[in-house]
Amino acid sequence: MSSFVRLGARGALIALTPALLAGQTPTMGAVAGRITARTDSTSASVPAAGAVVSIAGRARSTTARSDGRYLIGRVPAGEATLRVRLLGFGAVERAIQVPAGDTVRVDVTLQRDVQQLLPVHTTAQAADVEIFLSRPNIATVTMSAAAMAGVPSVGEPDVVRLVQLLPGVVARNDYNTGLTVRGGEADQNLVLLDGYPIYNPFHLGGLFSTFMDATVGGIELMTGAFPARYGGRLSSVLDVQSAEEPRAGMHGSADVSALAASGRLAGALADGRGTWSLAGRRTYADALTRVFTDNIFPYHFRDFHGHAAYALPGNARVSVTGYAGKDVLDANLAEFATDTAPTRASAGEWAFDWGNRVLGVTLVKELGDRATIEQRLSTSAFSTRLDLGAGALSQRSEISDVRVGASLVTHGAAHDLTLGYDVATYRVRYASGSEQTATTDFDFVQRPTSAAAWVGDLWRLSPRWLVEGGMRAEGLTGRQWAALSPRLSVKYFATPELALTAGAGRVTQFMHSLAGDGALRYFDIWIASDSFTPVASAWHYVAGVERRYESGSLRVEGYVKRYDRVLEANWAEDPSVRGDEFLSATGLAYGVDLLSRWQRASGAAGWLSYSFGRSTRSRDSVRWAPGHDRRHDINLVATWRMAKYRIGTRFGFATGTPYTPIVGQIVRRAYDPSLDHWGTGDPQLFLEPLGGVRNSARFPASHRLDVDVSREYLARGATVAPYLSIANAYNAKNVFVYLYDYSTDAPTRRAISQFPILPTAGVRVAF
Amino acid sequence: MRSERIVGLTLLSLLCSACEIEKVSIPRTDSRVALHAVLSATAPSQVMLLERTRTGSVAVVGSPFDAPDPIFTDAGITESNAFVRLVTPDGRTLIGLEDSAVRSDGKGFGVYRFDLPGSALVRGGTYKLLVQTLAGENLSAETSVPGGAAADVAVSLTFDRSRDTALVEWPAAAGARSYFVRVETPFGPRAFFTDSTRVRLPGDLRNVDTDALRHVFIPGFPQAVTVSAVDSNYYDWYRSHNDAISGAGLVNRVQGGLGVFGSLVRLRYEQLTVVAPQSGPAAGTFVPVGSAQELSVSPYLQLQLYVESPAARSDQADALSGRSQRRVGFGDPGCAVCGILGTTRNGRIELALLRGWSATDTMEVFTGEIRGDTIVGSYRGLGGVAHFVKQQ
Repeated sequence: MSSFVRLGARGALIALTPALLAGQTPTMGAVAGRITARTDSTSASVPAAGAVVSIAGRARSTTARSDGRYLIGRVPAGEATLRVRLLGFGAVERAIQVPAGDTVRVDVTLQRDVQQLLPVHTTAQAADVEIFLSRPNIATVTMSAAAMAGVPSVGEPDVVRLVQLLPGVVARNDYNTGLTVRGGEADQNLVLLDGYPIYNPFHLGGLFSTFMDATVGGIELMTGAFPARYGGRLSSVLDVQSAEEPRAGMHGSADVSALAASGRLAGALADGRGTWSLAGRRTYADALTRVFTDNIFPYHFRDFHGHAAYALPGNARVSVTGYAGKDVLDANLAEFATDTAPTRASAGEWAFDWGNRVLGVTLVKELGDRATIEQRLSTSAFSTRLDLGAGALSQRSEISDVRVGASLVTHGAAHDLTLGYDVATYRVRYASGSEQTATTDFDFVQRPTSAAAWVGDLWRLSPRWLVEGGMRAEGLTGRQWAALSPRLSVKYFATPELALTAGAGRVTQFMHSLAGDGALRYFDIWIASDSFTPVASAWHYVAGVERRYESGSLRVEGYVKRYDRVLEANWAEDPSVRGDEFLSATGLAYGVDLLSRWQRASGAAGWLSYSFGRSTRSRDSVRWAPGHDRRHDINLVATWRMAKYRIGTRFGFATGTPYTPIVGQIVRRAYDPSLDHWGTGDPQLFLEPLGGVRNSARFPASHRLDVDVSREYLARGATVAPYLSIANAYNAKNVFVYLYDYSTDAPTRRAISQFPILPTAGVRVAF
Repeated sequence: MRSERIVGLTLLSLLCSACEIEKVSIPRTDSRVALHAVLSATAPSQVMLLERTRTGSVAVVGSPFDAPDPIFTDAGITESNAFVRLVTPDGRTLIGLEDSAVRSDGKGFGVYRFDLPGSALVRGGTYKLLVQTLAGENLSAETSVPGGAAADVAVSLTFDRSRDTALVEWPAAAGARSYFVRVETPFGPRAFFTDSTRVRLPGDLRNVDTDALRHVFIPGFPQAVTVSAVDSNYYDWYRSHNDAISGAGLVNRVQGGLGVFGSLVRLRYEQLTVVAPQSGPAAGTFVPVGSAQELSVSPYLQLQLYVESPAARSDQADALSGRSQRRVGFGDPGCAVCGILGTTRNGRIELALLRGWSATDTMEVFTGEIRGDTIVGSYRGLGGVAHFVKQQ
């Protein structure tokens, strides 16, 4: 049977499965009305756009629209409790009577609640409950900014480092914020900022992410079997959502840490119809070094982020998000202070910078009470530029896209049907050469266009069954490739608090990174599939169980990920030849993830995550474990609020990842064509390490305790919170890499450590 | 090398310098035989180096490099007494003789020589190399010699770094996988591959093969520029590297071992005498002055100095370069004209007087002061006081 026929048969089965599970519908009614909010008893009420409205004990919930109106259908007739929540406002519960075959109107006005923390925790938990009840939510973790607050950080709070503490996500080492999700390589993750792709969301070679803590409103991480509207990556989708300020006037925050200074201004406007935010960050070690020493620290990075949203007339909402960031590593080596060299006057310059740009706009319009249409337009780019010796050698890379997409969601009594499309044009360029010598090492350009269309259906089959099925059709020019990717997820409520889930789906990827499988991930250089490079694909299979508690949840989920084709960067590729950049392999990853979360209104909050995973790759009858294959990974995160203090801790234990032992060294000898003899003593002899069997050894297990303590003070209406963070509080000696020396009788191996004990301090100010 | 690997190596070196946690002894591993052999169309004979990989079985001790002993004096583990054969395209078999067995000084362990002048190499012909070690290890490799007319003799040119650009062109060579451009410098060569048949070498070109990105062209020094057609073995071996951590990436085509058996035809050979304007108190041509007796024993007869790079910061010295003319005595194997590298700041001058043209081989150090047109100082090794006056 051909692979296409197998794919079609499997997809048809997935698409038709929901029809086999039809049940009977009881007598129903509906609840509708308008939610407004006001800051105090004397202020005017304004539409509470975004308020979550739900029926207690029911799977159905909705979000108030821009004008505050809401509708919940298919509510069993009789007595019910209506719940309304909005961040920054007190939650409201109201007893109602739902008529059979009719609609009851209930209007609610929310009052401002100054106790930020209590409603935040309660709201965060309640939002999770709503998601639990209303969606299959396969392999998905959502987390609000409040839930992430207080988690110990390294230099800077970093949402991507926090994501590494979630189940199924492996941190390769302390120096790397790259995400390896359920056995997948780090380029297999679609990272979004408000739904817009960002190609290289890392600074300093992967040490920090591009997301400023103050700009993050929440995250959604899907680690497998994601819905049909997502595509383009094999392993995960991480959507980082911008924070929106609901309070009128101008508010802001500043954070000065050991690493960087950042600031944010934000506010609501037009009586809550709109919100805006501007933020910036820059490291300052370079500036401080110049002030206090004679030397130079030639590196800094900077970020700018802006977001705005506004409720338009006619039940529409427009939002805009922009991001620009840059790493700069420019140095005139001659200006460095002399250490042992007689002079550095003869040294040259180098310039190295890289950065992202993202700009996107989304328009959402409600079409009556039954449908929502969303239109998106965005552009994203990542570029690198390296210049050694003022043109002696230059390398540059760039990926940019212009993307347009839309979706139509109809809200029926039992179905939420989605139709959508996404079209993107890309420009990829990777070039190397020398302006000075007028030579080109390589220079290639790609201009593919991708298109995708999907259909999805969230079917509330019965009070116990939720089914979300979909089909994604994709195509790519340049490769003349097209494919269908079915998706299905199912949730069965054994009880209102206990659900069993299962999901499956096919995923594809046509953008691949040349970064490779190394311990350090510097940045991604993306190459599109074309006539030389195939499209990668995989199948996800997921099954799990989730139990909700009053103040938390426990979820255990098993997965199998089968790679029909996965690409890895070819270390031996010839830069002057197209087509050898990647090597194909097949692969398998499977494991079990556990996540236990507790989100009490007071006291401790946090989570325990445990991941067991196994991952292999095969090519030409050779099988190996990829460098991110980690058997066991445990993270315990807890934060406490005690009076004005907040304490955060994180303990992590992980078994070692594979590495290739170096079994010898070879001297690379140079032939001098001018004198026709071997070696001159110049340059200094070059030793090549010789690798043994690929990834046949494992690093020892690693463990680390991080602690964060902050205290809040009130000063002239502002909150000032100095903090102290200690990463690796007991200075565990975790191995990062081994370096070998085979020149001695009895060779030696040096272990280079991951983070040593790393205290950092800073202060946050919010007003 | 791709830019991300440059960044990666830089980051790795920074990290490694900061965070070593332990150093342990590990078991020795099994060594492998490695060969380096390049058939050159301009060489009087063809040479192959045979050695073993480093595995901790032998402690490698560095010593001053000696060209006749390139393995032993360049931290290698020689493999001697191997049976080495070179099979020519017409089926003849040449036996390689180890230099140490034929040289009167006994140098040349692991250096095997074939009596085959480069002029006899068959363009487009395939040569096969067969090696059998005393332990019975067998290695083999093949190479095809590119076409092209060999440049046997260097073209001498004067090159003013401040205004000249060397334009080097050559005709395409049949069978060449790439062209290897190499400029010899005191700090190590600048070498790169190109598919083009022309390159330009401006006077201010920087050497990206050195960690400090120094200038390629150094005033006062003779610098050879060669362009060679190379085969795919040579190209792939020298363009690839093993990753520092994983040890993978090197392209090896030697069966039964490691290394390279390639071929090279030198198409262009220029000997540039690099000069630059001489301005400033420390720049110029200086000759010794003194009594007749002092002059008769002055070890240096002339110092030709240039400001190679002015200081980039106020607390930094200018970098100097140039050449010296030595008094070469009877039986003195040293150079008559040698290189100079030095510094000057605030009237002080320090010169490293080289044994030849390599920055790593200093024969003598001179330190002194600049007083108007005169340099007054002393030699660290020879002692005494010397005066040099600038020639107008």
